[in-house]
Amino acid sequence: MPKRQERDRVPEDELPLTPATFQILLALADGERHGYAIMREVRERGEGSVRLGPGTLYGSLKRLLESGLVEESDERADPELDDERRRYYRITSHGLAVARAEARRLDTLVRAARARKLIGVRPA
Amino acid sequence: MNGERTYRLLLRAYPESFREAYEREMLLAFRAHARASGRLGARGWMELLWDVARSAPGLRADAWRARWDAHLHLRGTTMKAFAISTVVIGALELLGGFAEGWAGGIGRHDGVSLAAGALAIVAGAALIVAGVALLRHARHAGVRAAVPAAICLGAFVIAALATPRMSIASTLLGIVFPLAVLLVLTTGRARGTPVGA
Repeated sequence: MPKRQERDRVPEDELPLTPATFQILLALADGERHGYAIMREVRERGEGSVRLGPGTLYGSLKRLLESGLVEESDERADPELDDERRRYYRITSHGLAVARAEARRLDTLVRAARARKLIGVRPA
Repeated sequence: MNGERTYRLLLRAYPESFREAYEREMLLAFRAHARASGRLGARGWMELLWDVARSAPGLRADAWRARWDAHLHLRGTTMKAFAISTVVIGALELLGGFAEGWAGGIGRHDGVSLAAGALAIVAGAALIVAGVALLRHARHAGVRAAVPAAICLGAFVIAALATPRMSIASTLLGIVFPLAVLLVLTTGRARGTPVGA
């Protein structure tokens, strides 16, 4: 199936995102990263409760690359880890728009949950 | 490193095209993760196993679909001629079914002829649906064509058993043609076409 033109793509059409996909886009929102750095970022953000294994990570990255939400930047070594060259990934402008749309969708849900006192209220 | 060798074995659960593109990166991530954790331990391995079990089937299904679609696309011209023949033969079966039902069932009040005519109509309609699915190169066209072809085959086998006087030509057309559709689709799946991940 031919890919749709960038200008025709509506971010809301891609929603809802899977939790893994949103976590990856979130990790890439403030700069490019390689795969292991994305895994580490997700684990640290979730304070250890959310873990993204290599299979889920690269499976999601493959689909994100195919749908044009993420692109490969280049291959270089990470001085913090070792001297092995790693592929770096960055979010595209469409990927950023999709991540923003998903964040708004989740925000609406969280506000609804708060209004029904499911969160933000101390148990009696 | 033993752990890495075990993980490399686990990676065989993923399709080849995916491994070609990401195996090295996944091994690098595994190595960095193992180094940061000190020792993976039973819990770490369970998490890795769960990760593979959760992600590999979906990627295998993706690769299978891509292979199927690529096969149908690659053999475009042949497939188009085959799809048009499927629609034409389906239409002939449909008309034959109407004629059989009308002449035998309504004209001679023969219930068996009426049933055979109805089955031939179902078979013809199913074959037309299969041909149209192949012609449109729709997403998952293979499955959309295979199901009606199987329905057509089933309907014609029942019709042939119910009415032994059915002509050899129409029996062959009604049974052999949907079988050919299924065979073409199955061969595409088995032979496969390399897919860039």
